[in-house]
Amino acid sequence: MSLKFIHAEKHMNDSIVFPAFNLSVEPNEVVAVCTSVNVREQLIDLFLGKSNLSNGELLISSNKKQLGIFFLHEGAYERLTLRESFKFYHQLYQSSESIEDILQLVQLESKKNVKTKVLTYSEKKRAQLACLLIQNPDIYIMEEPDQNLDVESKRIFLSVLHKLRMDGKTVFILTSQLESGITFADKTYRLDDQGLHFIQTELEEQKVVETEVEKEEKVIQPIRFEKIPTKVNEKIVLFDPPEIDYIESTEGQSFLHIKGESFPCAFTLNELEERLLPFGFFRCHRSYIVNLQKVREVITWTRNSYSLVLKDTEKSSIPLSKTKMADLKGMLGLK
Amino acid sequence: MTFSWKRVNAIFQKDFKDFSRNMAVSIVIFLPLIMAAVYSRMGVDSIQGHFMTINMTFAMVGTYVQCCLIAEEKEKNTLRGLTLSPASTLEIFGGKSLLSFVLTIIIIFFSAFLSEYRPANITIVAVAIILSSLFYIGIGTLLGLVAKSVMESSVIVLPVIGIFSIGSFVTEWSEKYPMLKVVEYMPNVQLIDLAEKVEAGAGFAEVFSNIGIISVWVVVVCLLTVYVFKKRMTD
Repeated sequence: MSLKFIHAEKHMNDSIVFPAFNLSVEPNEVVAVCTSVNVREQLIDLFLGKSNLSNGELLISSNKKQLGIFFLHEGAYERLTLRESFKFYHQLYQSSESIEDILQLVQLESKKNVKTKVLTYSEKKRAQLACLLIQNPDIYIMEEPDQNLDVESKRIFLSVLHKLRMDGKTVFILTSQLESGITFADKTYRLDDQGLHFIQTELEEQKVVETEVEKEEKVIQPIRFEKIPTKVNEKIVLFDPPEIDYIESTEGQSFLHIKGESFPCAFTLNELEERLLPFGFFRCHRSYIVNLQKVREVITWTRNSYSLVLKDTEKSSIPLSKTKMADLKGMLGLK
Repeated sequence: MTFSWKRVNAIFQKDFKDFSRNMAVSIVIFLPLIMAAVYSRMGVDSIQGHFMTINMTFAMVGTYVQCCLIAEEKEKNTLRGLTLSPASTLEIFGGKSLLSFVLTIIIIFFSAFLSEYRPANITIVAVAIILSSLFYIGIGTLLGLVAKSVMESSVIVLPVIGIFSIGSFVTEWSEKYPMLKVVEYMPNVQLIDLAEKVEAGAGFAEVFSNIGIISVWVVVVCLLTVYVFKKRMTD
């Protein structure tokens, strides 16, 4: 039932796609790996048996047919109604799952006699998820599961993941969005040509933050100015704090997000947090600072995971960690 | 892996529902029927005339429908899902061919009924027709695998429809152009030859060569299809 990468590495055309890494995904576990599209495609090909690792091995301790892949681009029989296509998959996989239960799980009951082609994109993705649930594999591989999904479908997706975890399934999510990785998975990693890095969340983060804070108390800033400098090519651009939507930190480098564009900034998140606190900014996650003026919605996915939705053009959503939720409630005057 | 009729049946039922709602493809099955009705009303009562509609049914229903079914499955990315499922390749193509096969046989039966064709020995003609339909379905599968989209598939079956439904008339010129002797080995010409022999009262022994040649065609097309499928799937 488990999935193991042992010293897995891949080279292509003289360049490294990903260097050797070890990762094992156990039952009852949802693991997300944030990667670029190239790495993701290579990994999917690997699962399909279309390509091989340059070195190391991929151990799937389950037979190959028990691998269910949730593709980003999957076709559907568009002229069939949902119930007919589910029935087809049910017979094809000789599954023992109940179609009605699964319809309820993905909340498509009201659409069961509707032809697949009139469904919205999010509903099609949910139907695709239902087909995978009918198949009932031991290991789920998911490629960008929440890309372009509406909020309702994301919520359903999370509850399905919760159920899979309860049922002892192994779930491996490949995504390019750090935010969705953190929202969906128990453990999140980043895989690139530098290797595999664990992304700390929740408990571990507190300790690290505390030690960092202690160090910084000794540093006294001689001058303060209100603009935040960023680098664009060789130029330095200065931004007013209220312009900033949110700040994200990726591999030690912080990025300011302004009107859908991102600009690298020389300061660390801790420095930025200190500077921006008077302007109504809030450290909502280890890797994120958000401009509270721009927050439109706070979404509660589960008891332990939250997201902030901004009112910018893209409606970006930002993870909010559990510990910070209490602080935020305090700031908003809710108790 | 065991061959499971349940899975073949599942694919067959799914294709049948899908096909009956796909007017662009399902409309062609009426064409041979209309042809057959018109021909018989015009008073055409030769073996050539009857088999023109039968060969047309093969090309229109067997090849065209099969080709579109496979190409659509490929274009919509659902063939990948099928190959990843527990269904084996044989089951997938078995299920898909079953629909074209059943349709072909039904349409041939009705067009023979409409054109009032009564073969002297129905067993031999039935065997020959079943063998030929396998050949045409094989061609359809092959073209469906080669085509990249449904649009392309409906274009590349046109020459097939031309060659096999009208091509049988080419034999008339074979005395003038000896090169055209090759055409006599085509499965459609062989089928007509067989039907003419049957009308003259021939038994199984006399038409053995015709059935043999058609069987060779079936085997060749099947091998070619398997080769193309393996090549396409590794890409």
